[in-house]
Amino acid sequence: MAAPAIPATGRAIEVRASRGLWRDAMRRLLRNKPALLGLLFIGIFVFAAVFAPLIAPYGPLEGTLVQRMKPPGGAHLFGTDLQGRDELTRILYGAQVSLLAGVASVIMGLSIGGIAGALAGGLGGWVDSVLMRVVDVMLSIPGILLAIGIVAWLDRGLPQIMFAVAMTNAPIFARILRGSLLSLRNSDYVTAAQSIGAPPSRILLRHMLPNSLTALIVAATLALATAIIDVAGLGFLGLGPPDPRTPEWGTMLTDSTKFLRQAPWLIFLPGLAIVISAIGFNLLGDGLRESLDPRLKR
Amino acid sequence: MTATAPVPAAVAAPARRRPPDNRLLSVEDLVVRFRTHEGAVHAVNGVSFELERGEALGLVGESGCGKSVTNLAIMRLLPKPAGRIEGGRVVFDGIDLVTLSEADMRDLRGKEIAMIFQDPMTSLNPVLTIEEQMVETIRAHRKASRAEARKRAIELLVMVGIPRPETRLKSYPHQFSGGMRQRVMIAMALALEPKLMIADEPTTALDVTIQAQVLELLRDLAEDRDTSLILITHDLGVVAGMTQRISVMYAGYIVETATTAELFENPSHPYTVGLLHSIPRLDEERAEALLPIEGTPPDQRRAPRGCPFAPRCAWRLEECWTDNPPLAPIDGSGRVITTGPDATHRIACHNPPTAEEAIAGRPLREGFVAAPPPDAVIQELVTRGAEEEPALLDEVVLMGPEGPESTAPSAGGLPIEPDDKP
Amino acid sequence: MTKYILRRLLLTIPVLIGLSIVLFAFIHLLPGDPAAAILGQHATPDRVAAMREYLHLDDPIWQQYLAYVSNLLHGDFGTSVINNQPIIHEFLTRFPATIELTLAAMLYAVGVGIPLGRFAARHAQSWSDGAVTIVSLLGINIPVFVLGLTLQYIFAVQLKVLPASGRLDFSLRFDSPTNFLLIDSLVARRFDVFVDAARHLVLPAIALGSIPLAIITRITRASVLDVSNEDYVRTARAKGLTDGRVDSRHIMRNAWLPVVTVIGLQVGGLLAGAVITETVFAWGGVGRYVVDAINNRDYQVVQNVILIFAFVFLIVNLIVDVGYAFLNPRIRYA
Ligand SMILES: Nc1ncnc2c1ncn2[C@@H]1O[C@H](COP(=O)(O)OP(=O)(O)OP(=O)(O)O)[C@@H](O)[C@H]1O
Ligand code: SF4
Ligand SMILES: [Mg+2]
Repeated sequence: MAAPAIPATGRAIEVRASRGLWRDAMRRLLRNKPALLGLLFIGIFVFAAVFAPLIAPYGPLEGTLVQRMKPPGGAHLFGTDLQGRDELTRILYGAQVSLLAGVASVIMGLSIGGIAGALAGGLGGWVDSVLMRVVDVMLSIPGILLAIGIVAWLDRGLPQIMFAVAMTNAPIFARILRGSLLSLRNSDYVTAAQSIGAPPSRILLRHMLPNSLTALIVAATLALATAIIDVAGLGFLGLGPPDPRTPEWGTMLTDSTKFLRQAPWLIFLPGLAIVISAIGFNLLGDGLRESLDPRLKR
Repeated sequence: MTATAPVPAAVAAPARRRPPDNRLLSVEDLVVRFRTHEGAVHAVNGVSFELERGEALGLVGESGCGKSVTNLAIMRLLPKPAGRIEGGRVVFDGIDLVTLSEADMRDLRGKEIAMIFQDPMTSLNPVLTIEEQMVETIRAHRKASRAEARKRAIELLVMVGIPRPETRLKSYPHQFSGGMRQRVMIAMALALEPKLMIADEPTTALDVTIQAQVLELLRDLAEDRDTSLILITHDLGVVAGMTQRISVMYAGYIVETATTAELFENPSHPYTVGLLHSIPRLDEERAEALLPIEGTPPDQRRAPRGCPFAPRCAWRLEECWTDNPPLAPIDGSGRVITTGPDATHRIACHNPPTAEEAIAGRPLREGFVAAPPPDAVIQELVTRGAEEEPALLDEVVLMGPEGPESTAPSAGGLPIEPDDKP
Repeated sequence: MTKYILRRLLLTIPVLIGLSIVLFAFIHLLPGDPAAAILGQHATPDRVAAMREYLHLDDPIWQQYLAYVSNLLHGDFGTSVINNQPIIHEFLTRFPATIELTLAAMLYAVGVGIPLGRFAARHAQSWSDGAVTIVSLLGINIPVFVLGLTLQYIFAVQLKVLPASGRLDFSLRFDSPTNFLLIDSLVARRFDVFVDAARHLVLPAIALGSIPLAIITRITRASVLDVSNEDYVRTARAKGLTDGRVDSRHIMRNAWLPVVTVIGLQVGGLLAGAVITETVFAWGGVGRYVVDAINNRDYQVVQNVILIFAFVFLIVNLIVDVGYAFLNPRIRYA
């Protein structure tokens, strides 16, 4: 037998809960110190990308061989690279490439994976089986290897890189969306909404999507971290943007590996930029997960 | 603290009918708090009770009122590091468990005091066989070979009515039904012939049809061995035939305690009355709707100012909002008997319902209206509610000046069930 | 149990078929004439004709696919257009180097990650737990190549305690018949070679293993904490068992389960990460083979390495799932 409790109060609280879900989540997020640190890192990263032309002390291609491999300090805060270009400038411009490629690939991945997941979870049946087998196949090709294959196949280029990275994320998004749609389809409150005759579109929009959305938002934030690392990884393998002068963090590293002894800052500084951006999205993603689903909190 | 039960008096004037060494357990003014991110949770606020050897005590109350925490505190198994015993004593067989060393306490657990938990589905380790789990219990406390322990385990399984115990020992928990698992738990609890068994809602998770069997088994085995029993439940119906005495808990306090017969005969605390009205009474033919108790237990992150039940109580007086009544004998007699068949009927209430009111489930006095909260209390709730918990505001409105029997709409705009009208 | 393994095996088959279709498409959807595309700058009319023949390009597409699968089943993975060597041969000579590297990285990740995760769980919410959390956060977010180069700089360039790259010092002159350097050197009783090979292995293994290490640490910590809150752990304590016994028998036995699954999943990341690690450390394994192949547009090599890595990944996870079933009686006796 259930403990005696008044139903009316329970309902009142539930109404409040759904109304304030996002506000509550935001409030919890702003109290989450690691997430705030993540936001700060992301802020620096985005700021650098957006305002690179304004704040960079030099042009990204500006430099002479005479000036090459100058250690940090003086006129060049981060030193100069192998071509004598200002490293700080190139890192700032590199943020543009990373941000663009990262965001674009995640959006692409979300669209592809989202459609596949929605079809699989929404329609079920053979559509679901086929799509999920496709997802299995894609996930069986480990991580960046899939991206390597796609870039090798489509040839080098920024759009190709975005697509390649998107395809490594898409199956993950598809699985998440499908999973949450399926579990929601059988959940009590959707059944309840159905039983009072709410139209399916309304159920999908008002009940199912917001809940699936929280899972996707978290996954997308975390995927941004991996996307930045993967884009740099492709660049490092020589699969970056076709123009070798493009300031791309991974490519910048490759060029400098031979001079690790003479110019270590050319490794550490772009490396640090990658790490900080990735950590930013990772911290934010974890924070979002905790604040969107308070039950997870420990 | 105003809520302290008159324990010193009880200790000063013990029942002389039985020798004093017949007392097995005495919990004195136990205080347990949890330290959480949102502040301290006042889970148990000065609970006192006694238990004789062989006696069975029922501990009853709504979810969250502190029954489990009280008993985990006795076992010193509170979740670490949040849960802490912040005051009081737990004297078991002459030893204060609160100050006992961890090693000595461990020796006691399972051997002298055994515990049976609510959910047999999750209380047994899924990756170990029943044999492994029973044998390790026995061997943790007794020098016994594996074979001897195994023999004992078989005896125990026979005792709790598990067929083919030799083969069943090799099984894993998931291969048993819920009722069978709870029998295994009981067998394991009895393995070392403990002096005290604590059963925390042992049948809540079971099928209704099996509940009675398991309860009977538990009672019979405890009686046969003269083992004391604390039976925790939120269902007064469960304890009726099981225990000699009942203590009713609310918000970390014991609000009423009496012999089982007396409690059912003459429930004297508004909360107990509410509990009795919220269970189907088989003995009453009246097709009267069940009266659920309005509202929910208070937020225990703050020690209540007055009677913790006041916001939900139809009998409350003005002083109830500010003064927490102590647990005192119902007839005001000076002599308090704390255990045994003659235990005193005690309640913590300023305005106990009369016998007729208890039957009706609401105050019958002409023109009586539950006292509205004084301005100071409203003020406190409003400021507190605004800053941290908007839901509390609903409660103020819901439980407002007209008392819980009114149908004032709640803040959510949803009317209270019409059944609730007298 | 057998039923479980069988079902698990059957589930792998569609993935394998799907994989072969995708990789078949990889070659056959190359722009223009696939044969010419594969051969690239090495295309002569003769070679193109031979390649068209090999790929069955004049047959209907489904026959092309069947021919591809049949070749695979016969162990024919095609020939490299660069040096005309059978790809399988090149692959097999290099694979031991990659296996050595990934195994070492895995040992490092598991050997450090699990104790670290247990430690963090035991001291949950304390500063040492916080430190472990930060380290694992870093581990997940430092790209393999950044960490690899950093390690090289610290231990090879600055401290000069470990070699920066390669698998073995040239001066040692050792012919490794299987290319498992560590094993071959022991068999040949060349302990100097063994020590040198092991020293070469340290930095790449740490670089490659850091992500799995971080993930295994996290999952172990979370799993131990989860299990610690289970009712049966409270039961174990209520029975009067010692903390050590509760920990080893009741907590760890259960906490293992998710950790095992995650370890299996990390194998994929390790294989993919090996591609980059081998590039950083000039490690002569499959990873560098594939990077070279990309630069040479040797599509068939890329295609087949992806196939084989995916296959290995699937097999490892199959084994892990079966192991999981053994550890978990709920599946073993289902
Ligand atoms: N680990 C914990 N951290 C914080 N508060 C806790 C914890 N465990 C219990 N509490 C609080 O202690 C109070 C008493 O809980 P307890 O489990 O004793 O209730 P109960 O009477 O056994 O209820 P139930 O019928 O649900 O078992 C509750 O308010 C609960 O929120
Ligand atoms: S009458 Fe007063 S003291 Fe008694 S239960 Fe009601 S509120 Fe509490
Ligand atoms: Mg409880």
